[in-house]
Amino acid sequence: MQTRWDIGEPEKPTINADTEQMKSELLVLNMGPQHPATHGVLRIEIWTDSEIVAHAIPHLGYLHRCMEKHSENIDFRGVIPYVDRLDYLASMYMEWGYALTVEKMLGTEVPRRAELLRILTGELQRIGSHLMAFGTYALDLGAFSPFLYAFDYRERILRLFEEVSGARLLYNYIWIGGVWNDWTDEQLERVKTFCDDMEEEAKKYHELVSMNKIFVERTANVGVMSLQDCLDFGATGPVLRGAGYKWDLRKNKPYSLYSEFDFDVPVGTGEQGVPGDCWNRYIVRMKEVIESIKIIRQVMDKLEPGSIMGKVPKIIKLPKGEVYVRTEAPRGEIGFHMVAEQDQKTPYRLKVKSPCFTHISMLPRVAPGQMIADFVATVGSIDIVLGEVDR
Amino acid sequence: MNPHSTTHETASVKDYFGALFNGIKTTVVGMWITFRYVWGVKSVSIEYPEVREVLPERSRMRLFNDVQNCISCTQCAMACPVDCIYIASEKMPEGAEIKKTSNGQPIRLLLTQFTIDTALCCYCGLCTTVCPTECLTHSHDYEFSQYTIDGMKYDYLAPDVIAWRDRIVKV
Repeated sequence: MQTRWDIGEPEKPTINADTEQMKSELLVLNMGPQHPATHGVLRIEIWTDSEIVAHAIPHLGYLHRCMEKHSENIDFRGVIPYVDRLDYLASMYMEWGYALTVEKMLGTEVPRRAELLRILTGELQRIGSHLMAFGTYALDLGAFSPFLYAFDYRERILRLFEEVSGARLLYNYIWIGGVWNDWTDEQLERVKTFCDDMEEEAKKYHELVSMNKIFVERTANVGVMSLQDCLDFGATGPVLRGAGYKWDLRKNKPYSLYSEFDFDVPVGTGEQGVPGDCWNRYIVRMKEVIESIKIIRQVMDKLEPGSIMGKVPKIIKLPKGEVYVRTEAPRGEIGFHMVAEQDQKTPYRLKVKSPCFTHISMLPRVAPGQMIADFVATVGSIDIVLGEVDR
Repeated sequence: MNPHSTTHETASVKDYFGALFNGIKTTVVGMWITFRYVWGVKSVSIEYPEVREVLPERSRMRLFNDVQNCISCTQCAMACPVDCIYIASEKMPEGAEIKKTSNGQPIRLLLTQFTIDTALCCYCGLCTTVCPTECLTHSHDYEFSQYTIDGMKYDYLAPDVIAWRDRIVKV
């Protein structure tokens, strides 16, 4: 594994006269498991040559909780608290993907209001997740106050979720066949106010961070994941869209009621830097917040009173077979592959395809030749959640 | 040359001063946004131990079982994804009066143990949704740290735990 890294023609040495000597011994540094830039417990072994990264080797498994094996012993409803803990910043999407998987096998009709409420909670969750990504990314790059502003607005979303589901992070709100609780009109009004405020707030974030010279210098042209690399590795979500590829499952393979909604899929255009760099991945997230607000407003117009729970048997037993369902979570495509046996109360096998796992596997590709500080920016920009990677 | 380098080695004078001006301008704009928070923006944080937030109605905090209404149906234990509820019951002794729960269901079994390991509990709320007599509920009590992990096991038949009813459960 200890090979010399090659970044083409060596630059003219300024301080160290002997470049060959400098390259011959690489220093092994451990980034993590509790590095603030990794948002969880990820250890990255980086081999550095002075300030430049030669190799980066991610070591996973610090947050492994045997979720897939556990779910083989729990009934289908009981798996939902476990899938909550995959991507704990976007639990609604994890529940939603899992619920869609079971519903597809059961053939359950989900009532229209429940579908709309799922979209509403899902898009609010996407805003919350992207606010978290925004705040912590700015924090990684040394800006403290955006983190506080982002958390203020995320708190409003969490408060709504707390009122409607009972928990702030691990909701257990989207159930097989529908949703648990209905939203009251007062809460929906607050969502409307939130949308208006959030649009103003997003402009402020844009002025404060996106266009800031220091931020642009730290992120533009840094950690470029080219479109070809993204396609080869199977990247999804903001990483793929940041590289300029218009791919969003809500648009390309619509599930739920997304085909009824009118929204754009923002892609990285290279306004600053080049498509596929940290800045473009970041700006795709911020633009998605605006698109989510658009979707929420349309949900508000479509919402009508009605049932929120479809007809689901009291004890769920799936027919023999297997199904793979993928949905567009804030971090990319989350896929659930369910294998079920006849007359079994538990899944035979539940495999989760995690987007962040793919994105982490791209780190060794982009790391060589970067400065350590740029590498921190790259790790932050793919917005990993380790609960989903290790499961 | 390092492909990731962002240095502008061939910047013209115009580019140089343009970048300088841009840097100053965007920093001042950002600083002004932060500066406005010094006055005029209402504080959103609360000082926790002195000021407490009122929790929403559906908040899922520590579980409480009202044993007088429990019919020992063990549905909660079966629904629990982490198996943290331990229930034991036996037949009612001969000639004992069959009591009724608050919603009219007869209590046919004598509950001998109802223990919840709160350290295992994941607060998902599945047990409370299946409870037929709605005796198992999530209270709004969230301050219950213990020195030992055994202290997190609550026997809901113990008198001191029954006494919580007056303190934490809204009837």
